[in-house]
Amino acid sequence: MAKLCMGLFSGSLDKLTAAGVILSGAAADDMDVEVFVLLQGARAFIKDNESKIDNVAEATHLKDEFINSLEKLNVSKWYDFFEMAKEMTNIKIYICSLAGKIWGGEKLGDFNYLVDDLCGIGEYLTAAEEADIHMFI
Amino acid sequence: MNVEIKETLDVKGLSCPMPMMKLAKAMKGLNSNEVLEMLGTDPGTKSDLPRWCNKSGNLLLDESELDGGVFRFLIQKN
Repeated sequence: MAKLCMGLFSGSLDKLTAAGVILSGAAADDMDVEVFVLLQGARAFIKDNESKIDNVAEATHLKDEFINSLEKLNVSKWYDFFEMAKEMTNIKIYICSLAGKIWGGEKLGDFNYLVDDLCGIGEYLTAAEEADIHMFI
Repeated sequence: MNVEIKETLDVKGLSCPMPMMKLAKAMKGLNSNEVLEMLGTDPGTKSDLPRWCNKSGNLLLDESELDGGVFRFLIQKN
C-alpha cells in the first residue's frame, strides 16, 4: 500500500480544503497517510476552531467568490473531507508540539476529534523519508 | 452490455473527490465478480475511474456517455 506524508503548514480555508480533497483521493486509493500539522495549521485543529476558519491564503481579493462557489457547488467542509477520509483509510493526524503551544494547545484534549496525537519534528522528517509521496501544503 | 447489475451508484451532480470516494466505499460492499453501475457527471471521474480500477485491481467492463452529459461505468469487483 502506497504511503503519503503531508506537511500541513497552512491554516487557511483554501489550503485546508485542498488538503481535504487530497486526503479524500488518498482514501479512495486506500493509501496509508500521515499528516503533520505545523505552525499556522495547528490553529485550525484546536477544539471547536474548525468551523471558524474563514481566511484564505491565495488570491485574498477573491475570497468571497471562492467561498460562495464552494457553497454553490455543495463542496464538503474541509473538516468533513478529513473525517470522511479518516473513516475510509488509515490516516493519522499529528500536531507538532510547538505549533500546538503557539495556539494554546498543550495536550491532546485541547484539539478536535480529527487529531490522533502530538509529535516532534523528527517524526515528520522520518515519515517523509519513508513515504512514497511527500507534500507540503 | 448484457450483465447483471448488482448495485447502481448515482453520483450525478457531485464534484471530485466525492464520486471516487463513494465508488471506493460501494465497491467494498460487493462480493467478487459482482458488477456495479455508476452514473456521474463530473469530468474528473472520466480519467480517475479507469486509473482507480487499474490500481485497485477491479475491472472496468464498460464506459459510455448518456444524454445530458451523464457518464455511465460498469465495474466488476475483483
